[in-house]
Amino acid sequence: MNDRSYSFLLFKSLYQPSIAFEELAKVDPSPFNILIRYSIWLLILPPAFSLIGAANFGWRLGAAEPLMLPTNTLVLVSVAYLCVLIFGLLSTAFISRWMASTYGASTSLGRHVALITIVGEPLAIASVAHLYPDVFVNILILIPTMIWSMYLLYKGIPIVLETPPERGMLMASSLVGWLLVAAVSLLGLSVMLWTLGVGPLLGV
Amino acid sequence: MIDVNNSTYHDKVVIRLIQFSVIWAVVAMTVGVYLSAELIWPTIDFGQFWLSFGRLRPLHTNGILFGFGVSALMGTAFYSVQRTSHVPLFAPKLAWFCCFAWQLVVLTGGISLLGGMTSSKEYAELEWPFDIAITIVWVCFGIVFFGTIATRKIKQIYISNWFYGSLIIVIAMLHIVNSLAIPVSLTKSYSIYAGAQDAVVQWWYGHNAVGFLMTGGYLGMMYYFLPKQAGRPIWSYRLSVVAFWAFVYSYIWAGPHHLHFSAIPEWVQSLAVVMSIILLLPSWASMINGIMTVSTAWEKLKTDPALKFIVLSLAFYGLATFEGPMMALRSVNVVSHFTDWTIGHVHSGALGWNAMVTYGTFYFLVPRLVGVELHSVRLANIHFWLALAGTMLYIIAMWGAGVSQGLLWLSIDEIGELSFSFKDIMSSMTPYYALRLVAGLIFLGGTVLMAYNLFMTLKGRDAVVVKVPPVDPAYGVNS
Repeated sequence: MNDRSYSFLLFKSLYQPSIAFEELAKVDPSPFNILIRYSIWLLILPPAFSLIGAANFGWRLGAAEPLMLPTNTLVLVSVAYLCVLIFGLLSTAFISRWMASTYGASTSLGRHVALITIVGEPLAIASVAHLYPDVFVNILILIPTMIWSMYLLYKGIPIVLETPPERGMLMASSLVGWLLVAAVSLLGLSVMLWTLGVGPLLGV
Repeated sequence: MIDVNNSTYHDKVVIRLIQFSVIWAVVAMTVGVYLSAELIWPTIDFGQFWLSFGRLRPLHTNGILFGFGVSALMGTAFYSVQRTSHVPLFAPKLAWFCCFAWQLVVLTGGISLLGGMTSSKEYAELEWPFDIAITIVWVCFGIVFFGTIATRKIKQIYISNWFYGSLIIVIAMLHIVNSLAIPVSLTKSYSIYAGAQDAVVQWWYGHNAVGFLMTGGYLGMMYYFLPKQAGRPIWSYRLSVVAFWAFVYSYIWAGPHHLHFSAIPEWVQSLAVVMSIILLLPSWASMINGIMTVSTAWEKLKTDPALKFIVLSLAFYGLATFEGPMMALRSVNVVSHFTDWTIGHVHSGALGWNAMVTYGTFYFLVPRLVGVELHSVRLANIHFWLALAGTMLYIIAMWGAGVSQGLLWLSIDEIGELSFSFKDIMSSMTPYYALRLVAGLIFLGGTVLMAYNLFMTLKGRDAVVVKVPPVDPAYGVNS
């Protein structure tokens, strides 16, 4: 299969997700290929936007003054952010494949990586909001995007992984459970790093 | 001895309890929405004491916990204990007493809270006359429940009954011990415990009220109604029993994690952290059991709008039971404590798990109780998406607010002084509170839709008469 044919992953999935899902269901891509050619470029966006935004304007948490952090700390945080996103994508893809046997879905790892990439793409693009690092503004922009991503997850699983819609709904809900846990773990991990002295200066 | 073949189940009391539960859900959630509006516009208490945040807040929590929650648990316990014991309710008149007396306690208790009567203990604000009334009704609840089990025709005691039973016993124990007080008048008493001991006893109560009422009781609901809806036996009965005992053993120690960095002994805090982390295992064992039970019954999703609620409730149960132990860690708690993150955590459990599993159960149960189809499957489906959207929006708003508060409160400048004033931080939270208000309105809107849907389903109908079926000898029959 010609690699170029996977470009629908990035583009068509944004405006014609159903067709992109159907095209993905016809192929069996190499997971490494998808990761290197497509996923990684999307994953770089949020840390990059965050680095640029925080270095220039500082994070606004609501109170008067923005939180300015030294550049080396910001680079460290952004690299950690990227690592976490890569880990998040891969772990979700592997967990999704692990769940597939329970829900009678396709176990092609390449399709799982591609599907999670499509689901996460709107969030990666919406992370442009990080350029204006105000927590509330980011939340306002990312919440509707997240709803769209969840819709893509529920819509995509039955088509891409070739399982009945009802079974797909159960599998998507199980994955949502995992993603919620992953999200809150990320929050907890960040807080632990802050209390250990990485990031903002806290009086703890 | 009860003649099984000629006796019928007592389901009218179940219907009445479900109706009360739905009414309390609407009332208490409306109060919650009003409270969230007060946090944005503090003057909407209009100078009335009874409309102030301090009085409405316990009304919201007590209304949800004891009005919505306990009525639902009592109703579903009465329903399932009859079916799993193959006998009608023991002392049905006492069951009716429990039903109405409980509503009277919640109603008058709620009014007393608005009037300013309070013990000032969180989730145990009601003053001593109500504490005594609660104890009497609760003991009657126990007599009906355990009496039914004692007269059962089937040898085994099904797992849901173990969870409901632990709810009744442990809540009685917690309520009586924590409410011990010396009355100084009809409307005021003082706890017999002092200082740090009072705090430890209070959070032993507070955390286990969450544990045994909002987790144990609802797991009882899940273990009965999920296999019923799925039309499959529970995935692993053995796992459910192991999870039950591990849950009962580990939950009871975890309360002091509410008192990190306080004057209680450090080893008590550490013990609570360890037990909180262990608690993840039984919690997730039940979640996995539920998910695996439903995973083979996917065809049911085509016809049953209720099952979706229970499936999603398990995802939020997984989140809340992971988030809790994580927030019990000192390094996380130092930032999260006293922030809105805690409020978000509570609601991921209360909205995502408790309310959703109850809604799923009501949508399943009410049509069957009166022998008709649900009035509108479409409305139930709309309710599902409203409940999901409301819960997600609520949690995310509170995560944003909570983490910001924690960070800002602790931020220090180069010379070691606090960077921001408390007042500035709190006034900057308004946008998050506005988001939370929207989330609350969405969730309440869904609940009102359900109330209408269930009202139309029940309207003018009486409970179907269900005869007690004979026990399959394969399960072992009690003579």
